Amino acid sequence: MIVLTNLVKRYQQHEVLRGVSLTVADGEVCVLLGPSGGGKSTLLRTINGLESFDSGSIRVNDIVLNAAVGPERDAALLLIRKRVGMVFQQFNLFPHRSVLENVTEAPIHVLKQSREAAVLNARRILARVGMADKEHARPGSLSGGQQQRVAIARTLAMNPEAILFDEPTSALDPRTTADVISVMTDLAASGQRMIVVTHAMSFARTVAHQVHILHAGRIAESGPPEQIFEDPQQAITREFLSEAARA
Amino acid sequence: MLGDVRLILLFIFGAWLVPPVTSVADDGLDQIRLRGTVVWGADQEGGGPFIYPDPDDPTRLIGFEVELAQLIAEHLGVTAVFSQGQWDKLPDLLDRGDIDLVLNGYEWTSNRGERYGLSIPYYIYELQLLGRATDDSLTSWDDLLKPVDGRQRKVSSLGGSAAQDYVEQFGGDDIDMALFEGATDAMDATALGLSGIDANVQDLPIWRFYAKGFPQLRPIGAPVGRGFYVAMTRKADQDLLRAVNEILLKALQDGRLHRIFAKYGMWNDTQRMRGLETDESGGFIGSPARAADGDDQDAATVRYEPSGGWTVIQQRGGLLVKSAGMTILLSITAMPIAVFIGLLIALARLYGPWYLGKPAAVYVEVVRGTPLVLQLYLIYFLTPKLLDIIFPGMELTINAFAAAVMGLAINYSAYEAEIYRGGILSIPRGQMEAAISLGMSRSLALRRIIIPQATRLVLPPMTNDFIALFKDTAVCSVITVVELSKQYYIQARSAGAIVELGLLTALLYLAMSYPLSVMTNRLEKKLNQERRG
Repeated sequence: MIVLTNLVKRYQQHEVLRGVSLTVADGEVCVLLGPSGGGKSTLLRTINGLESFDSGSIRVNDIVLNAAVGPERDAALLLIRKRVGMVFQQFNLFPHRSVLENVTEAPIHVLKQSREAAVLNARRILARVGMADKEHARPGSLSGGQQQRVAIARTLAMNPEAILFDEPTSALDPRTTADVISVMTDLAASGQRMIVVTHAMSFARTVAHQVHILHAGRIAESGPPEQIFEDPQQAITREFLSEAARA
Repeated sequence: MLGDVRLILLFIFGAWLVPPVTSVADDGLDQIRLRGTVVWGADQEGGGPFIYPDPDDPTRLIGFEVELAQLIAEHLGVTAVFSQGQWDKLPDLLDRGDIDLVLNGYEWTSNRGERYGLSIPYYIYELQLLGRATDDSLTSWDDLLKPVDGRQRKVSSLGGSAAQDYVEQFGGDDIDMALFEGATDAMDATALGLSGIDANVQDLPIWRFYAKGFPQLRPIGAPVGRGFYVAMTRKADQDLLRAVNEILLKALQDGRLHRIFAKYGMWNDTQRMRGLETDESGGFIGSPARAADGDDQDAATVRYEPSGGWTVIQQRGGLLVKSAGMTILLSITAMPIAVFIGLLIALARLYGPWYLGKPAAVYVEVVRGTPLVLQLYLIYFLTPKLLDIIFPGMELTINAFAAAVMGLAINYSAYEAEIYRGGILSIPRGQMEAAISLGMSRSLALRRIIIPQATRLVLPPMTNDFIALFKDTAVCSVITVVELSKQYYIQARSAGAIVELGLLTALLYLAMSYPLSVMTNRLEKKLNQERRG
């Protein structure tokens, strides 16, 4: 269970999150939609502590993260980050390491796995995302879609309870986007819990269990994709969906 | 992590803290006898006839002070050990306890007598005014006071010497002075008429020794400004001072002093001014009895022979190559330490709490804002005093090589810190975010992800600094380290072969820096390829 309770975040005077609460159950795929600047990425980044927040709380299973800064929060974050992975819009692969090393880095140095075990596992995961033949390549020589699939593999190698996707296909062209979406769809089918910020409507429509529309720092509407896409209750949702359809 | 760093620093610096060579306590003579050596300091740079490399075998030192030192050592029943130091810093070396004795043409002055033990004179010197042979307008000391072509006369001398004092007292504001670090440089500049220099005032023995090398110069008027060359000890070492006096007097009376000075063409009637000289029978010699004893320069068996061309390269090139080894040793020891300290400083500034970050920023500004030569000087001469305050009675000090490496490392660490800071800042923020999102701690992320990438970026500029460091090692001569540049000055001045040895020295520096330049270019190319993927 990931439970966000009444999260508030301010940048100086500006409130980016104005009391967001949501729950992501085990094995659930949760998609955050909404216009730019609505606080989607910020919300995602508070969950693994890349952003702080001013009040409210985050619970990942039995770990509780509060707003107060200090060693307690740091310790909680370290635990959360081991269990919750993140995939970035810009991939952020380590350019000085090969594809295989990108995937084995954290298992070896964070989870203290043996090199052999980590490599074995990494090869299995790379095969799963269709990147087995590139294990010796440097990230710089790969296409964006290939890099993103390696980034997903890197996160998977930590065997995470949940994966946060921060606009994973926004930096990709349509052809490679399809490869990445197919990997994500495959993950969802295997019961991987994920929270996804995306503009890929088809993914939200076909894969998500829950869709949340974030607008101006609040959740405007939540529900299963059938309800959100076929029968939106809020004006904001309708406006957003019609604009997304035009784009 | 912090404990590790402290341990490493202790290892790096602690290993160099050694007991001093000599003792600054007042049992100097006992210590010398116990050790079996008396350590004497002098500067062999431009040091003929005092102390200079033997032209036939430049690895050997000769000169009347070398022979005096042997005389004193024999009398003490120990071996004489020479220690190189920059002339004006020799008293500091006494204070530091690096040497027991200074024998290097130091003149007796009352000021010096208050701070140091000064022996009876081993030589009575006079000063000689020198002008250009072609300059008819200068024929006497008084001519110096007359302006020529509407400007004041300009006189060169060794900085801080009795010659400088004499000219200043004689001419006051009516004579301009040009001060040089080497006596032969001052003569060179006068012979060439550089910067409008008209004349040179020189210790008579130096002029006599080098006269053959300067046919463009001629002596003007009689010698003036009589004074005493004395041996110098620490004030507390009275036993040593008395022993030195004993042997000087003995050698004066049994003729050994006479023979030493005659060998270098330095004996003259002035030496009898002491009124203490005796003949073999013990009878007082009141006036020169035999002409041969008199002011006879031809009696000299050791003379200055300027050399040049291939001969000088063959004779002295080996020494330069050997000193280049010291330059390399200093550089390759100092640079890794500089990079390591620089990295710590950069990390403290970027990621440390304010109580580490602020001092780190101050460190960078202070180190970058002060000259390297001053830093070296302070480290070398202040460290023993600080250690004495921190660990009283243990008599710890730091040797010259260690001080040189430390000074270079500290100086360069400030620059490397800034390079590293720039390198780390240019790594995209997403790298740190990706690393900590994988559960890495900040320090693990720095170690595994950020610093390795930054290091690739900073390698080319750091290699450039490494090349600069090779050349900066030259200033280490102020704290007695003889590296390539210092050895060049010593050899070039004593052989009078500025051009030949200068070219060789330049070649040696080039041989050190060129491979590094090539390496930098390769690194940059490789890095660019990696970036392109």
